[in-house]
Parts: sequence; C-alpha cells; structure tokens
Amino acid sequence: MKKNLGRAVIALGLLAVVVPSAGCATVRPEQRSILADPVMQFESESPEERQLEHVLENREGSFGGGSVKGGGCGCN
Amino acid sequence: MRSRLSRSARSCLASLGALAAAAISLVATPARAQVVEVDLNNASFHEPSETSQMTVHNPGATLTVLPWDWLSLGVHYEADVVSGASEPVKAGPLSSPDVISQASVTDLRHLVSGSFTLSRKNTSITGSYTYAKEEDYKSQSFAVIAGTEFLQRNTRLELSYARGFDKVCNTAYPPNRDPTVRTPLDSSKGCFTSDAKRQQLDIDIDTFGAAWTQSWTPVFTTQAMLSFGLLHGFLGNPYRGVVIGASGQVAQEHHPENRARFAATLKAKYYLRGLDMSVGGSVRGYRDTWDLLSQTYELEAERYMLPWLRLLVKGRYYNQTGALFWSDDYTGGEPEYGPRGQYWSGDRELSPLKSYLVGGRVLGTWKGTREQRLAGMLLDFSAGASLDVIQTKLEDFSLAGREPDDTTAFVLGLSVHGGF
Repeated sequence: MKKNLGRAVIALGLLAVVVPSAGCATVRPEQRSILADPVMQFESESPEERQLEHVLENREGSFGGGSVKGGGCGCN
Repeated sequence: MRSRLSRSARSCLASLGALAAAAISLVATPARAQVVEVDLNNASFHEPSETSQMTVHNPGATLTVLPWDWLSLGVHYEADVVSGASEPVKAGPLSSPDVISQASVTDLRHLVSGSFTLSRKNTSITGSYTYAKEEDYKSQSFAVIAGTEFLQRNTRLELSYARGFDKVCNTAYPPNRDPTVRTPLDSSKGCFTSDAKRQQLDIDIDTFGAAWTQSWTPVFTTQAMLSFGLLHGFLGNPYRGVVIGASGQVAQEHHPENRARFAATLKAKYYLRGLDMSVGGSVRGYRDTWDLLSQTYELEAERYMLPWLRLLVKGRYYNQTGALFWSDDYTGGEPEYGPRGQYWSGDRELSPLKSYLVGGRVLGTWKGTREQRLAGMLLDFSAGASLDVIQTKLEDFSLAGREPDDTTAFVLGLSVHGGF
C-alpha cells in the first residue's frame, strides 16, 4: 500500500513537471515540415499495424494502451 | 404572463436561430473538392508447425469519403479465414500424452464497421459502429473518440471510449452446474439457433483511453497513452477442456467472469537529419486483476531510400508473467478453493512467456495533383509489403509434458491505397 502510494506520488510529480513544460515547447508552423512527414507519424491506426496487433493480441495475454477498438473475437 | 411567454418564446426562437445559423455556417464552410480514398490490404499469418499448421488470411477493404472539409465517412470490411488444427484438451506433465489429440479448426469471421469524423478547426470527434460474426461468436461495439489540438497545434489530447456487446456460443448447461462437470463445446453446429444443446453467453467490454501527443522540437515528438478496460462474462474458450483430476477428468476451461486491465504506453520519434531517417521507440506496461503483468519494448527506424520509397525496420520484445490461477498441471493437489483450485485454464496466453519480433516494410508512394492526376484519375497512390517474424518462448506451458512446436509465426502484409 505504502509502495503504491509512493509510486502514485512519483507519477503525479512527474506529470506536474512534464505537462506544463509542454507549453514551453513551441514549434512554429513553418518548422513543422519534418513533423508532418509520414515517417514521423505514430501509426497505430494504419491497416498493417492493426492487423499485426490483432495477431499479437491472440498470442499474448495482454492488450490495450494502443487505441480504442472493438469487434469480434477472431481468436482461434 | 403574456409578456413572460413571449420572452421565453423569443428566447426559444433566438436559440433555434442560433442553432440554425451554426448549422448553416458549418454546412456553408467552403467545400474542398470531394475526395474518395480506397484501402485494400491483406495479412497472412502462418505457423509452420508439424502438428497445428495454423494459417489465417485477413483481407480487408476500407472506403473513406470526404464530402466536405468538416466531415469524413468510412466503411470497412474484413474477414478472418482460419484453417489448421488445435489441441482441444490441455493436460500437464502428470498426464498421459495420449490425452492430447488434434482437432481441425476451420472458421470464417466477417467484420463490418462504419464511422464518421466531424472536424472543426482544431477539434474532431469520431464515432464508429462495428459488427463481427463467426460461427460461434458475435460482437457489436460502439466507439467514440474526441480530440483537440492547442498550443499552436503542438499538443493534441484525445479521449476515447468503446463499449462491446459480445456473445459466445457454449454447451447448454444450467447456470448452477458445477464447473468441474461442464463439458467443452464439441463443435459450432447449432450455435445461435434454437438448438436445445446450445446456449449463448454474454461478454461485456468497456474500454476507456486517453492519449497525449506532443511536438517538442521540429524533429522530436512523443505520445503517451493510457488505457483501462473492463471485461465481464464468459472469458474462457468454450472448446477447450482441461485435465483437472489425477484420474484424467476433463472439464471445460473455467476462468473468472471479471477482468479489469490497465495499460500505459510511451512512444517517441526523433528525426536524424544527417541520415534522413526517423528513429522511434516505445515502452508499454500492462497489469490486470488476474495478476498478469507485462512489458513491451519496441524500436524502429524508417528512411526514404528514394523520394517515393520508404523502408522501415523494427524489433519488439515482450514478456509477461502468468495469470494468478495459471498452472501447467491442475492434477497435482492444488488447494480446492485457492486461485488454482477454483479456476483452471489451458490458455497458453495466460502462461508466463516471452516473445520476440523482427520485421520490415517497404512502401512506395506517388503523389499527383488535381490538374495532373496519376493514370488520369488518382490524386495519390501507395503500395506496401511487410514481413514480421514472431518467436514465442513458452516458459511453463506443455501439452502433457511435451513442448509445443507452433511457437514461430510469420505475418506477411500487403496493402494498396488510392485517393481519387
């Protein structure tokens, strides 16, 4: 219990430092060409990633932390 | 009185007027030329095993229409075509190997979904409905995702919720029948009909998610995601039997009816200007109320080999502990009402395991313009191929003491995208 409380306090402390610092990060629109490139996108919604995730979910005991979805088992 | 009514009527009319004006202004947004996007893809999964030879083909097609800037509509279809063999009875090292037999598995799963996305300035909301059906399983789910961008679009926050209403076919037995004498489902024949030998059991799934994507510098971006899920209902495999007695007594797999799961993921991408390449990594932690704990670590790099050709390589390491009630053998005198005495599982996914993945993808992309379309009709076109190899190391799972040989898998993916 004490251990969990300690972890929660550390996590909240980290959030309290990291979240406001987002406001200091200013990338101007004209500097966004690289960030807008497909190679810099997080691809959890691409068809290939979804299909691979579907395979992994059926071979491993955990899922989640990627995206919201639903629909069917397909777990044979 | 009349004056009050008249004021409230005026206020009501004013509200309706404002609503109508808002609707008109939304519709009257300068329309971009209509765009239609078509995505076709297929993933083929194969386990080259002497016994199971499991093969799954997963073709899919998505049609997305963007009639206006603020609206996107999508329909999606995919199928799972399954063939191979599996072991219907799980036994531990204390049982005779003769208990293990092979049963052929063939199944066809259809999934259709529809979605819409409303976008306005820096905010968007997506709603979707999905229906999936196979011979022994039905699923319906609704999902809503709302996102907004701020701080000069350097910060994006997203909240999501999905609710699934699933049904699984099972052998008909009274609810109060002792789990130790429940028999596994022998086939999907009669499922979802009025057959008295079959019943359907509910599975409710709630998933909540939150994501924070942040651009820190012109070449560095991160994404943090939290996911919380609740599952309630029949959470086992109705076909699987487990040897639970020293005499060889087989009972249907019996899992707890509730499972709460929590996952947190942190991803980062950095662009190496000198190498014209992006490198990325992610760490994910997971824990659930079945006491399954897992970590996932991923690394990837992607580079333009030619202006139109991208190459991606990636590696992934995953490890998990076993569920609290997991045992490779339930005949060894476990306590009757302990976690392993009350529940039993033959599911290798609940056993302690490690998994390694290496993979790569090549993707060619060609862009046209409205004046000069590709092949006279396409605004853009891309085609990709990917190959992933997965090696699973089962630390505590056996089939009557024998190590399974279906622990290597290959996933070949092909995709085509066209924008009209």
